Amino acid sequence: MPTETLVPPPPGRAASRRPLPRLLRRLARPRRLGTVGLVLYALGLGAVLGLASANWATRGRYPFGGVALNAWTAWPKIGSRDADPYVRAIHARTGEIPLALGEGLLLTAITDDAGRRLDPSCRYRIAGATPPARAWTLTVESSRRPKPAPRAGAAPPPRTGFTSTEVLRDRDGRFAVALSPTVQPGNWLPMPAGEGSVRLVLRLYDTPVAASTGVLEREGVPSITREDCP
Amino acid sequence: MTPLGRFLLATLCGLVLAGLVHVATVLAIPYLATGDAFARSRATLANDTSVLVHAAETGGPVEPAEGWLRRQDPAAAVGVCAYDLDDGPVRITAETGPLLETIALHGRNGAYYAITDQAALRGTVELVVMTKRQFDEALATADEDERNRDVRIVAPSREGFVSVRVLAGLPSQQAQANEAARSVSCTIDGPDE
Repeated sequence: MPTETLVPPPPGRAASRRPLPRLLRRLARPRRLGTVGLVLYALGLGAVLGLASANWATRGRYPFGGVALNAWTAWPKIGSRDADPYVRAIHARTGEIPLALGEGLLLTAITDDAGRRLDPSCRYRIAGATPPARAWTLTVESSRRPKPAPRAGAAPPPRTGFTSTEVLRDRDGRFAVALSPTVQPGNWLPMPAGEGSVRLVLRLYDTPVAASTGVLEREGVPSITREDCP
Repeated sequence: MTPLGRFLLATLCGLVLAGLVHVATVLAIPYLATGDAFARSRATLANDTSVLVHAAETGGPVEPAEGWLRRQDPAAAVGVCAYDLDDGPVRITAETGPLLETIALHGRNGAYYAITDQAALRGTVELVVMTKRQFDEALATADEDERNRDVRIVAPSREGFVSVRVLAGLPSQQAQANEAARSVSCTIDGPDE
């Protein structure tokens, strides 16, 4: 009934309706569509919102279950049998084989110690004590998909991480890694080229920490400090 | 009921429905996925040794590997080997070297057992994965005079896979790590042995 929208509103509600003509037009539609329209609307809304939010929550970053330690977040449960359904769905979508509880522990950082997002144009210093583990690796990842490696003859791809064996240490056994887009002395970890968010990943292998992250709190995790930005 | 009330009610129903759809989808994804590690590893079921799915990338040319595993530790070589306990218990044997090596057993619902090369006896890690029933049978038929030295693990389900990670601490150890990740044997433990 297209004429229905043209019917003048009852005088009592006119004052409240006049400032919201758009809302009025939207409200007029469900009345015209009736119950069937409203049911379809509810079903559509449920399906679209539900699927979209499920897709968003299982994109690749774990939504919860992490243990925050300064800038780092430890993920002790992702490789165990009591991993939450989101972690399982993420692993099912990415094909990831997580580090099991007895294998090691994954820690990630997307901010520095001051809480600012890691900026690909800045210079960072990652330093501190080594966490208790038989071996560890510190890698930097970019949210962008890495380009296919150039074939023979080209320069080798830049370093993406350090292992505990190869990192240079000072006299006390502590280390400092410089994460920077430009060449640095010492342990230089090149910043991934291009825009996009950057993530630091610390993997502790064969570590007693995996059983309880309390050890990590006591021993400390490497600090991430922003040195300078252009 | 006013049109506004009806519209709000419909929106509310839609939101509740969205919550249900969200939870159902998240719970269903692991069972419908065809690209997860469990499904991909099924292709290696016929192999006697593990297959390299991620090669270490610490220096030099990267060895070709099945590339479905993304965003891994560049210093770690990862090998995978699927098992199916229908044909009998599976024996996993890994020769450990100087490199750090971890072995994890995964079922459909995630890892249920992990061991590192520190548990190796004379340079070998040897595990026997079996179902509860096979475990009971092995106990019942065991010779009392003979001591069994196998590490027996009862798997939560018949199907699963073994993952091996070998860490190349130095660029020169890349080839050695890949070789170690590729050389874990997982064979069906025959009754004659």
